[in-house]
Amino acid sequence: MKSTPKICIIDDDYIYRYTVVKKIETMHLAANTMDFEDGEVALAFILKNLKIDSELPDVIFLDIDMPVMDGFQFMKEFLKIESQLSKKINIYMISSSLDPIDIERAKKIHSISDYFVKPIKAEQLQSVFSVL
Amino acid sequence: MEKTTKKSKSKIPYHKIFIEQAPTAIAMFDKNMCYIAASNCWIKDYKLQGIEIIGHSHYDIFPEITQGSKELHQECIDKGIDVFDEIPFTYKDGTVKLLSWNIHAWYVGKNEIGGLFIHTIDITPNKEYELKKARTKEIFEQTKETAKIGTWEENLSTQKVYWSTMVKKIYEVSDNYIPTLTNTLNFYETDQSLPQVSFIINEALHKGSSFDYEAEIITAKHNRKWIRVVGKPEIIDGKVTRIFGIIQDISAAKSARTQLSQAHAQLKAIYNSESISIFSTDSTGVINHFNKGAELLLGYSASEMEHKESPMTFLPMDEVNKFRRDIALQYGKNPDNFSHYKDLPVENVNDTREWTYIRKDGLTVPVQCTVSSVKDDLGKNIGFIVVSTDISDLKAYQNEILAKNQLLNFAEQMTMIGHWQWNLASESVKWSKNLYTIAEVDTSVQPVFDTFFSLVHPEDQPLIAEVVDDAMRDKKFESVTIRLITTTGKTRMVHIAGVAVTNNQGEVVELMGTAQDVTELKMVEKKLKGLLESAPDAIMIINEQGTIQIINKQTETLFQCSPEELLKEFIEDFIPNILPFIKAAKFSNSNNTRQIGVVEELIGLRKNGEEVPISINMGPVEWEGELVISLAIRDITKQKSAERKIIKAKENLEVLAHKLTEQNRQLADFTHITSHNLRSPVSNLNSLLDIYKTTDDEVLKESLFGKFETVINQLTLTLNTLIEALKTKGPHTDEDVEEIEFEEVLSITKDLLAGEILKSGASITSDFSKCSKIKYHKIYLESIFLNLISNSMKYRSKSRKPEIEIKATDLNGNIKLEFRDNGLGIDLEQHGHKLFGLNKVFHRHPDAKGVGLFLTKSQIESMGGTISASSKVDVGTTFTINFN
Repeated sequence: MKSTPKICIIDDDYIYRYTVVKKIETMHLAANTMDFEDGEVALAFILKNLKIDSELPDVIFLDIDMPVMDGFQFMKEFLKIESQLSKKINIYMISSSLDPIDIERAKKIHSISDYFVKPIKAEQLQSVFSVL
Repeated sequence: MEKTTKKSKSKIPYHKIFIEQAPTAIAMFDKNMCYIAASNCWIKDYKLQGIEIIGHSHYDIFPEITQGSKELHQECIDKGIDVFDEIPFTYKDGTVKLLSWNIHAWYVGKNEIGGLFIHTIDITPNKEYELKKARTKEIFEQTKETAKIGTWEENLSTQKVYWSTMVKKIYEVSDNYIPTLTNTLNFYETDQSLPQVSFIINEALHKGSSFDYEAEIITAKHNRKWIRVVGKPEIIDGKVTRIFGIIQDISAAKSARTQLSQAHAQLKAIYNSESISIFSTDSTGVINHFNKGAELLLGYSASEMEHKESPMTFLPMDEVNKFRRDIALQYGKNPDNFSHYKDLPVENVNDTREWTYIRKDGLTVPVQCTVSSVKDDLGKNIGFIVVSTDISDLKAYQNEILAKNQLLNFAEQMTMIGHWQWNLASESVKWSKNLYTIAEVDTSVQPVFDTFFSLVHPEDQPLIAEVVDDAMRDKKFESVTIRLITTTGKTRMVHIAGVAVTNNQGEVVELMGTAQDVTELKMVEKKLKGLLESAPDAIMIINEQGTIQIINKQTETLFQCSPEELLKEFIEDFIPNILPFIKAAKFSNSNNTRQIGVVEELIGLRKNGEEVPISINMGPVEWEGELVISLAIRDITKQKSAERKIIKAKENLEVLAHKLTEQNRQLADFTHITSHNLRSPVSNLNSLLDIYKTTDDEVLKESLFGKFETVINQLTLTLNTLIEALKTKGPHTDEDVEEIEFEEVLSITKDLLAGEILKSGASITSDFSKCSKIKYHKIYLESIFLNLISNSMKYRSKSRKPEIEIKATDLNGNIKLEFRDNGLGIDLEQHGHKLFGLNKVFHRHPDAKGVGLFLTKSQIESMGGTISASSKVDVGTTFTINFN
């Protein structure tokens, strides 16, 4: 690993964002975190830093249920710009939904690495970091 | 006296002439039994040829004549009696013959006997006896007739003519008529007879020749008669002095002869006929005549057969033998070595039978043939005449008829039909062979009416009697099916059909017809009946005209009629308007589409006028040789009501399904709610707790409590919302529903939101003119107003003051409520699917909790209504509520 990985959390739930950041910290995983409260603001950030790899995250934890632009709407837009990215971004769908329809739908999207049900577990975080 | 005697004696020569010519043994004697005349036959019979008998005593010539005979003769002469006797007579040569004697006196004047006639016939051969006797009698009658012959005399020297009374009778002149030499000739028919007679008389006068001629006369009374005139001239010194003779009226004989000649001509014609074969044989069996017909029939020529061959040439031996035997037995002869030529001397053979002739070419030909005896003058058989006709054609017809009769018998057996005839006049009854078989009566029984009647089942006897009575009266025989108990005790169903035959007066003279054993048919019918009875549907069989032929029990039940009220009746009286269906369906020509079809929605009419909904299944059926239609009729009253129930149930189900779908969707919402809205705060709590446990940082731990509080508040809100939503799913009581004025609800809402309205400066306008009130759940309606109006103000455009328009419409009881604002609007393309979801928010508004629309929708749907939205970003949103 060349540098400290950038972890991006897109979720409208402020408590959730907080718990994830704190979890990473308590696990002593080396990471820079950033967070967005919905897909729209996250997408705007990526578009803005499309060619600046140092600004772009290595990992995105993407919530499904969000106001304004939800996880799937975000993915739809992200796929349009993915080819322009020089940096590989691993996207993990994170949701409290156990709904198989949601899970199935997420798995069909090639660019999504995995689907985790909230709350995210230590092992899952560990594996996310291990593949970087 | 003297005169009389002289006159009488003068008659003798005439008798003499006649007797000499008689065809039988007859002799004329004077009172002294001396011969005056004797017939040639007499001379021959008594072998007196060459013996002078005239003037000689009979007793001298036959000294063997007994005294008894002599006395008998004397008695005849004295008393003028006729004697008929049979006496054996011994001839000169010693032979004894049994002779039949006929002795008859002859008269010279009134009561004066001149002598005797004696006729004799040899009756020795026993078998000829009767024949001879008859012939004797015949001859005797003839002789008696001849005794009435008139006599005449023409004296040439005195020029006087004498006619006896009989002659005058024949000429039909008066007793005092005086004939002359000239006027006698005037009676003759002038064209033929007169010239002939004139010539003969002339000959006699000049040459002295005797004569015997037949001529036609016209009597004084203008009757035409044929007479026979026999005359003999008396010659004295070479000169004819007188002519005398007899005159006989032969008109009858002449006409008989004419007829005979005609008959002969006809016979000749027959003989010469080519269509009838005639041949005759002589007494030795040799053919002596063989006519043209025989030549044609047999292929032999007359010259080949006549006087050369016997009929055995062309007769089969077995038939000849049979003929001989039959003939022998018929005449009481011994059939062994019998010959119909030798052994039947006088019998009148007349035998008609079929013979088979063998033609010259070897082919055989059947003939109908009559064999008759040919007799000579004395009645002796001198051969046979055989007349035959070709019956090949007849035979062929006969064979054909036989064959046809056999076929008929066969057909009768096959169809189990017998036929009968009952002649009422002669009371005679005829049965065909098969009728005997059906009734099991021995064919030797000659049936009478009772033969049949007694076999009829006692219960059916009145029926038969009635049919017969009706037939007599109406001249029409109604067919009837009765039970027959055969002689062996079997019961048979017999169908009797017939016709009444009438005479010219229209009276029934004969009944005839058929009797068919329909036991099996009836069994089949019974089986069919059974089958029909077991069918669950009412079954009718009708003909094409719509007449009901057969019904089953179920039919009676369906129409509530007795069989009598249904059978033979018109179908449309019970099922109106069915015929068009039958006609429309018609019978298909192809055999595979036998089903006519099903007709629904027809009405059956009961006797009491009640209507029954029915469905009919039609099909063609062959019954009693006729194509008819079977109708399977089903009472669909229950079906109909069941149908209605089903429809109702279906409707209910649809409603239920709709509800279930709705509930399902709501359940899906709940799944969503639990997985998102409940799980996420819980998972947050777990995460926070996890951090709390794993950290030793007291500052962090302290800060976590604030986070816990946030999550707990969020969870509480969610749970409360859910409880609120669940409440709306529960059953509503009537108490909850009341009539509410929209205006009133709006007013309450405005009061509640007074602060907001004031702060935002919103203007709320309403139009409840089309519909001012609704029966609804009051709390829900208030909640709906509150949520929608507050939303409009919450998501107002920052660039303009909120304007809210509320409008109610009522379209045929369908109440709609519209909330229109000029707020931010929502991109329904993106968010439409979660517009009414729980905790769904679309704006980064601090108060957006995603609860209001979720609850509003729950409430509306729980009351059976719907809510929809239309929106344009930055223009505004319109919510439409359809209350239903």
